[in-house]
Amino acid sequence: MIKINNLDFAYKNTQVFRRISLEFEKGNIYGLLGENGVGKTTLLKLICGLQKPQYGEITVDGFVPSMRQPEFLQNVYFLPEEVITEDTTPEKFIQKTGVFYPRYDFDLFNKLMKELEVDLTKKFNELSHGQKKKALLACALSLQTDYLFLDEPTNGLDIPSKALFRKVISQYCSDETTVIISTHQVKDVENLIDPIVILDRDDVLLNASFAKITEKFFFEYGPERLDNAYYTEMLPGGYINVMRNVNNEESNVNIEALFNAVMKNKEQIKNLMK
Amino acid sequence: MNNTLDFNRLGKVIKHDGASFAQNLGLALIILWSIPLVIWLFSSLTPGNDHIDPYSRISIISTLGTILLIMAPARLYKYCNDSRQGIGYAMMPASSLEKFLSMVFYCVIVAPIIYLAGALAIDSILSVLGGPYEGFAISDYFNILSQLRDTLRYKAMMSDDGCTLLLSCISPTTIVFSKILSILTLSSIFMFGNMVFKKHKTGKMIGVLILLFIIIMIIMVNYVVNHEDQISRWFRYVDEEEAKYVIIRIIITLENVSLIFSAVVSVVMLWLTYYKIKTQKY
Repeated sequence: MIKINNLDFAYKNTQVFRRISLEFEKGNIYGLLGENGVGKTTLLKLICGLQKPQYGEITVDGFVPSMRQPEFLQNVYFLPEEVITEDTTPEKFIQKTGVFYPRYDFDLFNKLMKELEVDLTKKFNELSHGQKKKALLACALSLQTDYLFLDEPTNGLDIPSKALFRKVISQYCSDETTVIISTHQVKDVENLIDPIVILDRDDVLLNASFAKITEKFFFEYGPERLDNAYYTEMLPGGYINVMRNVNNEESNVNIEALFNAVMKNKEQIKNLMK
Repeated sequence: MNNTLDFNRLGKVIKHDGASFAQNLGLALIILWSIPLVIWLFSSLTPGNDHIDPYSRISIISTLGTILLIMAPARLYKYCNDSRQGIGYAMMPASSLEKFLSMVFYCVIVAPIIYLAGALAIDSILSVLGGPYEGFAISDYFNILSQLRDTLRYKAMMSDDGCTLLLSCISPTTIVFSKILSILTLSSIFMFGNMVFKKHKTGKMIGVLILLFIIIMIIMVNYVVNHEDQISRWFRYVDEEEAKYVIIRIIITLENVSLIFSAVVSVVMLWLTYYKIKTQKY
């Protein structure tokens, strides 16, 4: 379990987080959403121990990430947005890296590479950006760490690859694995993530499971714009209205509309989710 | 699990770092090894050139070795503090101490040994082939006392008597220790530079050293100028026979001071390198 308590973090003069507290429970695929520059990558880096909080604490299964202890590191893997361009093949890369991870499975790597349709024999720098990302995703999944942090994993992937991405994540992440996917392309991770965390500048606006979201919100798809909606957006054939769920009705969550509703009614929604 | 030092894990780190050793340092080694070959070729093809004695070749090999020591950390661990490409290094499940020890192993031990073995082997092959290379550098390289004598004589610092007297006062162990320490000092300075600077790592570290050298020289010159009378008065009272011993005593004292200084610099630089590996933010 990841516990963040009263976290303060700033880059020189830019405050990123101010006293935020947050928890990530084991076995979930979290969607970490937020506008550009709100600190999604920074939060992942703090959880991985690549940055150190200026105030407050972060623990991952009791470990302090910034100490970067081997016992902690062998259970986490961070796939950054910008992919590395090592002059080696993915196969050699995983053989070199995998030895440090106790549950690393080379057969699984081969299987994933096949499923993601990446050429095993080509060097990283001979692969396209999307192919590189898929190869590194195969590497990350084959390490079978307890925590997997993916920063904008669908950037640069074509449409079939995005579907493959969703497929392999849902298929090959065990029930014990906690995945945090940071993205601003919410459509790419729809039907994959649950719960959702929405970050704002130095604040957490929402951290809730789909069950809780549908309990609190009602997503109404209809022909007209409703005045009492938190957010309304025109869709082909009508409108989507994000409303307070006063009658305990069930509805399908539209992450993009939810995100916009939260961004438009920050305080109101924070109070609603308390 | 031991989170500080585990020899099994250290072995894995060494294997991991070693996998890219040839790729990162191979070209530099080939260039450095080829320089004595170019000199040999040039001397062979230029009529009227004298033979190049082993001592001169050892000097060339040592100078090129110094260049290797300076460039090795930045070639082998270029990205370890890069905010993007260094993430893999930081997230590698090994302790900072193990990563540091592996870095020391490759920069201080493996790179110089591979370079030296190659350089001496090439020199021996060229010597066997004949031409301008006279004698074998390899046989003289490990005869440290003779090398030191050659150095003193070559730089016209001392007469043969003076050399014998000085060498009788310095133990071979000290000389070997001093050589090893100089390798460690140079490597540790550039390993630290590699962790501190993100771009133009070697160049910036050389710049810092030049700046430090200038500052120290200014302080020393200032000191000598201010104490000129005292120094000349002191020399006036020393007779010629005594002067020989006084100078040797000064040389030995300076050598010991330099050894202590090198040791302190090495320890500080190594500790700072380890500290940077441990606390580097990405």
